[in-house]
This record gives sequence, structure tokens and C-alpha cells, in this order.
Amino acid sequence: MKDTPETELIDIPDVDAEAWNELALEHGWGDGMPLAIPTQAAVDKFVAVCRGDNEPFAPVSPRQVVPTLGSLAANAVMAGCKPDYFPVVLAALRAVLTPNYNLHGTLATTHPCAPMLLVSGPIRQTLDINCGSNCFGQGWRANATIGRALQLILLNVGGAKPGLMDRATHGSPAKYAYCFGENEEESPWTPYHVRRGFAAGDSVVTAMAGEAPHNINDHGSTSGEGIMTTIENTIAQSGANTIYGKGPYVLVLGPEHAETLHRDGWTIEGMQNRLFERARVHVSRVSKENQESYAGSDHVPVNDYYKIAPTPDDIHILVAGGAGKHSAWIPSFGGTAVPSVRIAGG
Amino acid sequence: MRIVNPTFGVSASGGETVAVKPVDWRADPIALFSNSKPNARELLEGIRARLADLRPVDNITFVHKNSASQGAPAELIEQVAANYRGALLAIAD
Repeated sequence: MKDTPETELIDIPDVDAEAWNELALEHGWGDGMPLAIPTQAAVDKFVAVCRGDNEPFAPVSPRQVVPTLGSLAANAVMAGCKPDYFPVVLAALRAVLTPNYNLHGTLATTHPCAPMLLVSGPIRQTLDINCGSNCFGQGWRANATIGRALQLILLNVGGAKPGLMDRATHGSPAKYAYCFGENEEESPWTPYHVRRGFAAGDSVVTAMAGEAPHNINDHGSTSGEGIMTTIENTIAQSGANTIYGKGPYVLVLGPEHAETLHRDGWTIEGMQNRLFERARVHVSRVSKENQESYAGSDHVPVNDYYKIAPTPDDIHILVAGGAGKHSAWIPSFGGTAVPSVRIAGG
Repeated sequence: MRIVNPTFGVSASGGETVAVKPVDWRADPIALFSNSKPNARELLEGIRARLADLRPVDNITFVHKNSASQGAPAELIEQVAANYRGALLAIAD
């Protein structure tokens, strides 16, 4: 791999797109997919959008360097963002730099966590962030490039090189890009960011170091009780990091499941309490060796069951996705938090 | 063509260098530092047992952080730096 100069601006030979990508990969700047060229002119357009956002950034792990707006914008350009997406990227970076997010641990771990980004508020519509059908998937520029931009920042500024400082055993497709919007329009409950103390008119990014989404399929249940039974038993897994009982998780309800649950009187708090009590793993599903290991970190079963969230408040519930009888849950790395950051100007 | 360096950042540390006295691994106090992953303690116990063939081990002691997923707190690192001349770390899984 070629060394990168330590200056903010670099002069390179005039290159076409193909030669640029070869050069970028030689320097280890990419994720394997084609990159746009971060010319000074392109970067300046992004920085201009965020003039006035002068709050300094904390050092980015694991390299522990403080980025500039220019170097952050370079990564957003390379990811394929539009300039208007850049404030979302910056808010996402501020979220993962929140100390209790534990960025260093989440980047260096062998666990396949990726920074899940949830966007709430009006900016979802302004930027056309997909909150509906296939919201975790392909096809939306904003979702794909905002998530990718954060990953490139963590790779290039943070230095989380796969196989070196990023020690993931398998990694995850979610490490390419992991950004979606809350489907506030089809949610029967108060929007997630408002429940967290923001104004309805605020636009907010929430981050969690999470696994890729795990599907919860329930086509048969026609009651809230039935759907909750399926959800709690899907979440009760002995092989997810949540088994340690020391981290949050996210439950993403599809609009159809949400409608049924709401019709039958389920509140957010009621679902949190139910999952805290009932999404649990019986000791018979945990090996003796693991039981001893968990006991060593004071995680012991209660009435022969392991709870998998520290408190009901560590269970984050929202609505996203489109038509269909599916929901999803997203287990976290464990030693992490779920910070929300208001998007400047959003 | 002029581009903006996507890796650019300013080092957060002062970059100061510290003169370190060489460690005498045959006699100096050593910390066996566990990352609190399963089997880390067993690994370090094995190292201590092997070292017993080479040197006194009454000043080789075990230290661990409280969480496998969180970094060691600064106070613990300072404590190790103050009390030991070297540290052997159990890392990864």
C-alpha cells in the first residue's frame, strides 16, 4: 500500500475515473467499490453547506486524529453524496464520537457490528431518505451514500483498516452502508426522536453499533399478542452479543405489525416492558462453559432465564419499512450506547 | 489535479517522547493484563508458569479491565504504569 502525504491537499497526476480508482485503492482509501474524485472544487461545495458548523470534532479512533471539514467532505464526495447530505454525515460522525458509543471498541472488535444510522424528522423527505419499502436495501442514493460516507471516514480518518485495526472475524455487508429513515408517516406512535426529547421539527441522526437487521416474519398472527410472542422469541437468541445482557438493541416494526399492535393497545413503553421480561433465554440453551463465563462478569440467570437487555429503556422501538408482515431487530455490539444528534440546519 | 486528502487529520496527542529505562524482564515487576475475554486468565496463568522457570514470579501479578468490550480506564493504566516496569497483554479472543 502506498503512503499518503500528511498534507490536507495533494497534487496527483490528471487521471480519468478508472485511473483514479486504481490510485485510491493503492493508497487504501476505498471500500472496494468505485469512488468519486475528491477534487478541491468538489470538496469546497460540501464545506460551503456546513459553514458555521464550528463545533470541534473529537479525535477519531483508532488513529486518534482530529479531522477537518475538508477531509470529512473528501470522504463524502468519494462516497457519492450530494452536498446537501453532508450535514447528516457530520451529525452521524458526532453521534459515533459520543464517548459512550465506544467507537474504538466497536471498530476494533471481532464482532460484525457496523454503525447503524437512523434518520428522523423532516430532512428524510427533503433528501429523499428511504423510510419505506426496502429501507435497509439498495436503490436510494441518500441511504447508500450517507452510510458509506461515514464508513469511509472511519476507514480513512479513523484508520479502521480491515484486518489491521478493524479485527472483525467476518465483518458484515452492513459495513458498506447502513442508513435508513424512520417511517413516521405510518407510525401510530410518537416519532422516535420526539420520544428522545427533540422537537418534531428537528431532524436527528441516531447511531448504534449494530449487527445487520435480523428478520422477524409473522404472517399468521392477527393480534398484537401474537405478534409480540413472535418478536420476543426471535430476539431470544443465545448466540447474539445481547446474551451478555449489557447493551441496547433496536426493534424496527414494519407498518403492518405496528398497526396491529397499536390497534390492540400496545404502547412503546408496554412493548419495552414486555420484551424486557419475556425476550429471554432459558439456561438450557446456554452451554455450561458460557454460563460460567457469564457468571464471571456478574450476568446470572433470573428464575433460570437470562435477560438480554439491561433495562427496558435499552430497547429502542420505531417503525420503518413498507408493506408486508415483517419486522426486524438489530442487536448491538453490547458495550455501546444509542446517541442521537440533531442535524445542523436540518 | 489537486485533491483533498481523505485521511487528513491533526494528531490529538502532543507527540511528546518519554525516556524509558530498559526493562529487566528477569527481575522487574510485571503486570499480566487481561482483556477480560474468556480464557485470557488461563493464557496469562500459563505465561506466569513458564516465567517461573526463568525468574521469580512473586512480583508478577494479574490485572484485568472490567469489560471485554470497553477500553481500560485511564486510572487503571496509570496504576499499571506506576507499579510495574512492563506489562504483557492478552488481546483479541
